[in-house]
Amino acid sequence: MCQGIIRRNNELVFEGEHTDPASFFLSVYRDLGFSYPKFHKMDNLCKLGWLASEVLLKDDFDLGRYEPEEIGLVLANHNSSLDDDTRYWETAKEAASPSLFVYTLPNIVIGEICIRNNFKGEHVFYIQQDFDADFIANQVNYLIDNNILQACICGWMDVLGAEYKASLFLVEKQEGGQSVPFSAENMNAIFKAI
Amino acid sequence: MSSPVYVAGVGVISGIGNNVAEHLDAFEREKAGMGPITRMNTIHKGELPVAEVKLSNEELISMTGLPERMSRTALLSLVAAREAISDAGIAGISSYRTGFVSANTVGGMDKSEDFFVDFMANNNKGKLRNIFDHECGSMTEVVADKLGIKYFITTLSTACSSSANSVSYAARLIRNGVLDIAIAGGADALAKFTLNGFNTLMIVDKQFCRPFDQNREGLNLGEGAGYLVLVSDKIAGQSDKFPYCRISGYCNSNDAYHQTASSPDGTGSYLAMKGALEKSGLQSSDISYINLHGTGTPNNDSSEGIAIKRLFDPYYPPMSSTKSFTGHTLGASGGIEAVFSALAIKHGLIYPNLRFTTRMEEVPFEPEKHFLSGRQVRHVMSNSFGFGGNCTSLIFSAA
Repeated sequence: MCQGIIRRNNELVFEGEHTDPASFFLSVYRDLGFSYPKFHKMDNLCKLGWLASEVLLKDDFDLGRYEPEEIGLVLANHNSSLDDDTRYWETAKEAASPSLFVYTLPNIVIGEICIRNNFKGEHVFYIQQDFDADFIANQVNYLIDNNILQACICGWMDVLGAEYKASLFLVEKQEGGQSVPFSAENMNAIFKAI
Repeated sequence: MSSPVYVAGVGVISGIGNNVAEHLDAFEREKAGMGPITRMNTIHKGELPVAEVKLSNEELISMTGLPERMSRTALLSLVAAREAISDAGIAGISSYRTGFVSANTVGGMDKSEDFFVDFMANNNKGKLRNIFDHECGSMTEVVADKLGIKYFITTLSTACSSSANSVSYAARLIRNGVLDIAIAGGADALAKFTLNGFNTLMIVDKQFCRPFDQNREGLNLGEGAGYLVLVSDKIAGQSDKFPYCRISGYCNSNDAYHQTASSPDGTGSYLAMKGALEKSGLQSSDISYINLHGTGTPNNDSSEGIAIKRLFDPYYPPMSSTKSFTGHTLGASGGIEAVFSALAIKHGLIYPNLRFTTRMEEVPFEPEKHFLSGRQVRHVMSNSFGFGGNCTSLIFSAA
């Protein structure tokens, strides 16, 4: 999901105008018919991550196959929560905004996705220079190979100012219909294709 | 696998006293620890009351023998942990499998935030090596080192339920035969970082806090540390001293509702209290006293109250928020209030909820207004609910 375009398994899901992130996220939310009032309270990073995870999990992901503790998240980005931090800091000059303050951490987006889907497994958010597919693959493989998780959402979600990009991967222990082998190479290829 | 876990010693420091004896005295005299800010250099000086420990960093350094650059969090931690160990009076503590399970949320931020201001203006001002170890885990390690504990050391940080989770985690380690003895609790020092954070959320009262009162307007921040010495059945049997109590129940649950607020119906707190009761095998009517989380914020007290109503109705035991004395000591509060719970059982005490005047409209009960002694206190429930929805209840029972 970036520059006004959302792709899922290589298919175009949504194409909008390349407007500012907040307007784009709202148009996605409306166009794809989501109904989740809390969405409107979220900061841009949470909106981006929430929408990307909704698209990722829609249709063929069967939540019921797993216990809540068996599904986790391994995420990363470059700019942490700086998009919201900056907005918060602007308000702090007059009257610090509590509603912006509560999003001044990057891992809040994990909470939003977990609350939405009732995920209760291990989760972590890394701040990295660039998307490091090898690193993410190592982390996810460890969690899956050691039976700590049976399914894991991993990848990248980053937003700052006018730029945003999310690239999420659903990794499952059991092979599904549309699945491709989980590897750093495949993640890199998909990440660069969007 | 379910051998009992006993409380053999307690230690505490907070705005109302530097040791257990001073706390008992302050409770009896109904004397709160809040006052104007004296130590932090902040624009909120003279505006927001806080409950400071009445010892300067210099005094704490000379008491503890820690280096001058050390965070106040570690200083407070060492004072209370030492008192707990000394109180337990177990000879040769290091010859057992002894653990230090300590919580905090602020780490060395009290020092980092002062360092940062000068350093950003001129990076010749100050050496980064003096602040590299200000994360939460370092506080535990510094103190464990001074206590001579090496066998097992860990740090928990789950916001305001942090040190209640230390106690339940340490109890589980003993119960499962991993440790013989655990010093469990936590510490937090006042910092601008936390004061500004809570103030941004608009939940700090400019007056002394009024927990569980209809007209409450928020919390007062406090600082301190509280530790229990938890021992296995075997260690308790070897001691001449009768234990304070045993840990009979604990439960952690999550609201999954909001970053910094409890759900209006108190789902997380209800599940934590209910789970702790189930673990202990007790009925709600068996509880002699509830040490409330009771921060004094409109949101917490309402949601905690509604959860208590759901679980306890129609029989309500005496209850109070000792944060009306100590302020909210954040990561230390669960440990400090665990100490108060153990003391309540040992001495037959019910602590008062200061400044209470008006019952909250959503509940049919009121907290205890005055200090009561000579009571039969058999089972105490202690609540600690944190940001991120992290809710913990502990139950202490007469040994």
